[in-house]
Amino acid sequence: AAPRALIKVTLVKHEPTGTPTLTLEGVFAGGSVGYAEGKLMQSHPLSLCNSSDDERLDSSVISIVKLESNMHRCLPLLEKAQLALERGAHAVIFDVTDDIGAEYELRDTDSLSRPVVLIRGSDAEDLMGLVNRNEEANVQIEIKFEPNKWQQYDV
Amino acid sequence: HTPGMSTGCQSGCLTCSDYNGCLSCKPKFFIFLERNGMKQTGVCLTSCPSGYYGTRSPERNDCTKCRPECDSCFTGNFCTRCRAGFYLHQGKCLQSCPEGRAPNDAQRECVPECP
Amino acid sequence: MLAFFLMLHVLRGAHGAGAPLAPCPPPCQCQESGMLLLVECAECGLSSVPDSLSPFTSYLDLSMNNISEIQPEAFQNLPFLSELRLSGNLLKHIPGPVFRGLYNLKVLMLENNQIQQLPSEAPWDLPNLLSLRLDANLITEVPAQAFSGLRSLRHLWLDDNALTEIPVAALNSLVSLQAMTLALNRITHIPDYTFHNLSNLVVLHLHNNMIKTLGQNCFEGLHSLETLELNYNELQEFPVAIRTLTKLQELGFHNNNIKAIPEKAFLGNPLLQTINFYENPIHSVGRSAFQFLPKLHTLSLNGAMEIQEFPDLKGTTSLEILTLTRAGLTVLPQNLLEKVTHCTTLPSFGHVVQQSVRTLPCLDAHLSHPVFPCRDLSWNGIEAIHADAFTSLQSLVKLDLTENHLKVLPLEGLFGLTHLKLRGNVALSSLFRVEDFPQMRVVEMPYAYQCCVYGACSAHRPAAQWNMEQTSEEDELHKKAAALLPVHTYSYDSDVEEFQMELDESKLQTSVQCTPLPGPFKPCEDMF
Repeated sequence: AAPRALIKVTLVKHEPTGTPTLTLEGVFAGGSVGYAEGKLMQSHPLSLCNSSDDERLDSSVISIVKLESNMHRCLPLLEKAQLALERGAHAVIFDVTDDIGAEYELRDTDSLSRPVVLIRGSDAEDLMGLVNRNEEANVQIEIKFEPNKWQQYDV
Repeated sequence: HTPGMSTGCQSGCLTCSDYNGCLSCKPKFFIFLERNGMKQTGVCLTSCPSGYYGTRSPERNDCTKCRPECDSCFTGNFCTRCRAGFYLHQGKCLQSCPEGRAPNDAQRECVPECP
Repeated sequence: MLAFFLMLHVLRGAHGAGAPLAPCPPPCQCQESGMLLLVECAECGLSSVPDSLSPFTSYLDLSMNNISEIQPEAFQNLPFLSELRLSGNLLKHIPGPVFRGLYNLKVLMLENNQIQQLPSEAPWDLPNLLSLRLDANLITEVPAQAFSGLRSLRHLWLDDNALTEIPVAALNSLVSLQAMTLALNRITHIPDYTFHNLSNLVVLHLHNNMIKTLGQNCFEGLHSLETLELNYNELQEFPVAIRTLTKLQELGFHNNNIKAIPEKAFLGNPLLQTINFYENPIHSVGRSAFQFLPKLHTLSLNGAMEIQEFPDLKGTTSLEILTLTRAGLTVLPQNLLEKVTHCTTLPSFGHVVQQSVRTLPCLDAHLSHPVFPCRDLSWNGIEAIHADAFTSLQSLVKLDLTENHLKVLPLEGLFGLTHLKLRGNVALSSLFRVEDFPQMRVVEMPYAYQCCVYGACSAHRPAAQWNMEQTSEEDELHKKAAALLPVHTYSYDSDVEEFQMELDESKLQTSVQCTPLPGPFKPCEDMF
């Protein structure tokens, strides 16, 4: 199974205490395992199309994109992720709750230069709810260690 | 209207969702991705807002940002009004006017020099 | 301009200097701007223009309402009106007298209505109008006199209508026109001298029509034209009529049906910077077609199957991107780079006939401006590279050799690389050393084990069990370690002490992003 990610969310207004407001889980896409930290910013799915407005993101941003089920895809998901990273996002979070094929699409890729995390279900709802309320937040993406899960491999 | 989608779409919208706003527009409308703090949502407009120009195509009508020195533009390379400190001459926003023309601050244009 | 202010002061005096500029007509919202008034009535469900508008109104937005008709006197008493927005209503026709007296109107927005015809007997008299939006209506024709009262007009939108031909007579009145779009109509032909009065036109968009033929002199008179867009039409022949466009900088005719580009095709357009003509069944290209284009920086000859010889680029000296995918070339000129002295992305030969392009020529042609930050040679059939191929290219920083057939990579001249892509070269199994590329930042190797030199592995032995009882202090250590280690080099299956060892080791190396990432299934051992 793909390595899991811990998403620690701290509301900017709670910043002084530093304790995360939310700790959610997701799955790293392909080989994009890694650590990232930055301000959470939503990107509309259409903003990740070639012709769309080239909104450069400064590098301390973590982009979150809610994928929709009935929407024409202007680019494959891998290229959308790469476009977001090229525009400066430090990492990308995709809410794939309504896009069941997404996980499969990104499973085998190893050409993502920074972390790309897929979230779904209640974790995604919590994170998108916060975005919808426009509550400024900082996010830390870390690798979640699965206890005793990895077997001994004789290679 | 699609499950999980917003019940009330903004006028001009064809499909929309709670989180992303408009996903597609009715024919002839432009989709504009509006940034508001950390949110970025789609809205459908008859024309793109100031600082953006519209490109129509059979599939979709997009709004694209003008060059930084233009307040408004016809295309990416042709401005129709300049930012303060720049002067319009044949679609270009210049910091100084070509020979025979003088900068007019009120109109932000290069106007013919008085003889 | 003086008259404007005089009139304003007189009217303002008569009105009583301190008095409000007139009640704001419900349900609009008004805002004072100096002595003038901005009136906002968009999306108010109006079915007619509100009466009792203040004479000091300079901006009036009536867009997105249900107005299907405008009373003749609706805008009679608005001498200072400068911008009028009526877009997104149900207007079918607007008689000339409706706009009488609007001598200061500069912007008129009528897009997204249902206008089918413009007035001919009593055309609109708007002598200072600069921008007119008529796009997204149902206009089938434009009477000859329709624009006779718009002598100052600079920007005209007529795209997304139902025009079957270009309104030549009407356009003759617009001597000040600088930008026009007639895109997304049903125009099939452009006759000779169509635009002969438009000597100030800089931008002309004709994309997404059904244009099959062009008069040999159809662009005569466009002395200032810089951008011409003919994309998504049905042109069968190369548009030779462009030869008169001496100021042309951007030309697009992609997605047409053109099969050949003639000799000296762009001789009349020395200022051309971009030419987009992909998605045409182009089979042949005149050898001299792309000569003497000193400003051209992008040239893509995708799919030109019948090109036998490399086009002669004499006098075309600023080319940055030259793509020759799916071309029919069998021989590449030895002094390739002399032809492309400024090239920052040398030819990506794409699927040039594999058997002929086995070796890349020695690239040390004498280059006057050796500025070669990046070189894209991906997706070719290159099996070997001359040992001195890159020796003279000290400024090379990016090299993409994805999907070739290399067994060995000559390192001479690659000292300054920051980006290197070797993915897909299945026979290239040797290990590289960190010192080979001291500036490296992002590298794609054929095999994961080749990333190990960049500290991407645990202690070079089979994956160990990750010890899970972590205290918060260890969690802190883990977070700091993960933060220090580059994104791709963190391996999740080593225990904390070994981790600490790696931590010290990794501090020495700069952060190099190396893929594919080694792991349990891609160990650090050389599998060969």
